[in-house]
Amino acid sequence: MATNNDNNNIVSYICKRTVVSTKPIEPGKYMTFSVLDRCMEKNHIRMVYYYQSSSTSLGEGEFGKMTKNLKETLSEMLNYYPMVTGRLVRDSEEKWKVKCNDAGVRVVEAKAKGSVEEWLKNVDSEKEHMLVYWEDMYHKPYYWSTFYVQITEFEEGGLAIGLSCFHLLADYTSATNFLKAWSDISLGNKITVLPLFHPLPSTRKRISNHHPYFELINHYKSSIERPIPIKEEKYTIISLGFSHQMVNACISKAQFNGPSGPITMTPFEALAGLFWASISNIKGLQNGLIDMSICLDARKVLGLDYGFFGNTMIYNKVHSNGNLEGNIFVQATRYIGEVVAKMDNEGIMDLIEWLEKNEMNSPKMINGPDLICVSLENVDPYLSVFQDWLKPLRVSCYIEPVLGEGQVLILPGTPEEGPLSRVVMVTLKEDEAIKLFEDDLISQFSPTIFMKC
Amino acid sequence: METPFAFITSPPTPTRSPSITIHNSHCLPSSQIINMPPMLPDFSNSVKLKYVKLGYQYLVNHIITLTLVPIMLGVSIEILRLGPQEILNLWNSLHFNLVQILCSAFLIIFVATVYFMSKPRTIYLVDYACFKPPVTCRVPFATFMEHSRLILKNNPKSVEFQMRILERSGLGEETCLPPAIHYIPPKPTMEAARGEAELVIFSAMDSLFKKTGLKPKDIDILIVNCSLFSPTPSLSAMVINKYKLRSNIKSFNLSGMGCSAGLISIDLARDLLQVHPNSNAVVVSTEIITPNYYQGNERAMLLPNCLFRMGGAAILLSNRRSERRRAKYRLVHVVRTHKGADDKAYRCVFEEEDKEGKVGISLSKDLMAIAGEALKSNITTMGPLVLPASEQLLFLLTLIGRKIFNPKWKPYIPDFKQAFEHFCIHAGGRAVIDELQKNLQLSTEHVEASRMTLHRFGNTSSSSLWYELNYIESKGRMKKGDRVWQIAFGSGFKCNSAVWKCNKTIKTPIDGPWTDCIDRYPVHIPEIVKL
Repeated sequence: MATNNDNNNIVSYICKRTVVSTKPIEPGKYMTFSVLDRCMEKNHIRMVYYYQSSSTSLGEGEFGKMTKNLKETLSEMLNYYPMVTGRLVRDSEEKWKVKCNDAGVRVVEAKAKGSVEEWLKNVDSEKEHMLVYWEDMYHKPYYWSTFYVQITEFEEGGLAIGLSCFHLLADYTSATNFLKAWSDISLGNKITVLPLFHPLPSTRKRISNHHPYFELINHYKSSIERPIPIKEEKYTIISLGFSHQMVNACISKAQFNGPSGPITMTPFEALAGLFWASISNIKGLQNGLIDMSICLDARKVLGLDYGFFGNTMIYNKVHSNGNLEGNIFVQATRYIGEVVAKMDNEGIMDLIEWLEKNEMNSPKMINGPDLICVSLENVDPYLSVFQDWLKPLRVSCYIEPVLGEGQVLILPGTPEEGPLSRVVMVTLKEDEAIKLFEDDLISQFSPTIFMKC
Repeated sequence: METPFAFITSPPTPTRSPSITIHNSHCLPSSQIINMPPMLPDFSNSVKLKYVKLGYQYLVNHIITLTLVPIMLGVSIEILRLGPQEILNLWNSLHFNLVQILCSAFLIIFVATVYFMSKPRTIYLVDYACFKPPVTCRVPFATFMEHSRLILKNNPKSVEFQMRILERSGLGEETCLPPAIHYIPPKPTMEAARGEAELVIFSAMDSLFKKTGLKPKDIDILIVNCSLFSPTPSLSAMVINKYKLRSNIKSFNLSGMGCSAGLISIDLARDLLQVHPNSNAVVVSTEIITPNYYQGNERAMLLPNCLFRMGGAAILLSNRRSERRRAKYRLVHVVRTHKGADDKAYRCVFEEEDKEGKVGISLSKDLMAIAGEALKSNITTMGPLVLPASEQLLFLLTLIGRKIFNPKWKPYIPDFKQAFEHFCIHAGGRAVIDELQKNLQLSTEHVEASRMTLHRFGNTSSSSLWYELNYIESKGRMKKGDRVWQIAFGSGFKCNSAVWKCNKTIKTPIDGPWTDCIDRYPVHIPEIVKL
């Protein structure tokens, strides 16, 4: 593993500035947050996109010019995101809201030695964190930017764009669409997925003549009552890629016979089950499963457009019944599948209604001590193609901080690998992560190791 | 700020613009003063006196025509009365001999030649181009305050001060700073300063070439003025290098002369064009912000940070007869006033190091008072050149009256609105424009160009006059024969003014800096913008 000294020499920061939109905003606009947004107040997202240039003619004089073009197109794109360029203020009830004051987003420019391919060959999470800039909230949040963009040019070719944002404002889908919009503008096109800023579907007109989905509500309720853990563990993040065929194999292995014929799992269910079983094994549970929650994007279920800007990530606990017998992996997958099916429109609307009624006690940190498996497959980050650059070579994502057993993020793989290919980013304690590589359950699917410990 | 602004050298009196009724009653001959019944409403009073005033102005301004017409009539009547025979007799009685005739003829020719030779060449302003900053350099208030807070984190009081200045500054959300100043902390390297200079000057020059069809090889005189950035080789050398200008070009680079340097350059160009016949002169006025962003805490020095913004203009002047048709303006007068002899005036805008050794421009508290004094001097020289005879007579009469009869008479402030249709007041800051509006008794429309330029572009120093002129043209208000008065103040302390006469009615420009936003103007600028 590269030492800190080596790391410091590879990436050097050039400067930090603020990029604003090209048109001034009408003063006096405010935007508020939904109950789901407020669940994510303690988290932030980091994403890194790697690019290779399309032409080899980008030589000496071009260094810095690419960054300039990117900043100009970012300016133009920000006209559509008044919420992103605003700043946080507290309203009369001490809750956050955004004052759209046109302050802009922070942009950091950096350069890195070597080429992007070399970098990708031996990258680890610590190195990757140098490509995406983040600042924790200031004492005075009015001067604190909620979004950070880092543009790193590789001296021998290649580009890395790091985007980090406060989870209160945007979830993974919104952040990905933000970058997609930027790439659309850089190509001179219109934005394909325009951001929509509106509240969640209203719960007022609901006729509650059914049993509310208590399990989901209880999960959130217990999160409120639980104090935020202050663990000082050292986590490491590894990244594994599963090809189309391997995911298919995984799905077929997880298949089981239901009452009305064989039930096929989705890639998320299969992979989440796989990692749940494997990690439980590593942590010492021979015949059982550790506590686990899944997290899904509820836009489709709630009938919202993908352009909806905000948070629609719903967490739900998956219960396993004590000692298990037989194939743990298959059973894990079954449990997950059952919970996913129950997270339908009614269930989620019940949750939203409950959260709105219990505003004062909103959970401050929803991703607690469990192992968390997050499905981030709803948007394709590989569609973000900037001018002069090809499709992204790789996309990484981090949802921080992780304070429990661990985190498993399931992202789509590169389009070349096939529609079912996936990239899984696992956050675990260092010694557990090492064991994960040797685990038979995982290695039977021969994943490509993108990022070691 | 109390600004003593007397127009006559007498103890300063506070400026309160006297209403029409009062000052007229002192200036008109007493026979015309009607005993104003106090019950008459003010409106009717002022209407009556308005017509009296108009009549007086017409009488005095056309006095020559009015006296000549009766004389001509009298002579023609006399001639008609005499009859043709009498006239012939009169003609024969005059004995002319050849010598006398020849001498008279030569005398007439001599006088005519001397007159035409000594008449100064007409200087035409063919066209000018203003730099339009890129939108990516835009600085909204929130961003400016945030950066200020992040850079001056140990000095919240200085940040507060800057915020108060910005709130009352009259600037808008679209003013631009150069890229180097956008960084946290700013990176004012020499390379960045040169970069800004190249961006501003070359864009303006390219635009000028396009508008006028001027070829770089045809430039005979080049004057560049930039007060605070003076590298070696000079900025004029930079221009010559970029556009491959001729080797026998007469180039000048004026630095350190403040915001009024633009008009000083025009004056220099005019003098040079008197000496060199058939020549083109290009004047480039700009101010490079990058090296001068003050990074310390001294309040008096933080003010320029809040107001100065990126901008530049390139102007083509010519004395060629062929430009007569297409030139936009004709230069009529340039009046320069320098108050540097007075120590207070000399030190009122002073570049120096603060306690921490950081260099900044310190503005003294009596800036407005000194500006007033300088303006007074300038107007005193300008008045006789431009004011119509009626105003000058009134001024003279009041002056005599104050000296001889009663020193308590209110000083007469000449009405410059009669001499000019348009005013371009250097957009130095809101206070400057407010003061001048009050003291020259200008209407809101007269100072609109200045206020709107301050709002849209900020204080762009010497080039602000050109943005203001472009505003007036973009609004379609510039007609043939209109007279424009450009006034600029600068460190030293200097007050310079130029008078232009519009040569042809100007069509709304299609490629100026105001093209995309002129429809939004004029905007109402609140006293204090809540940040």
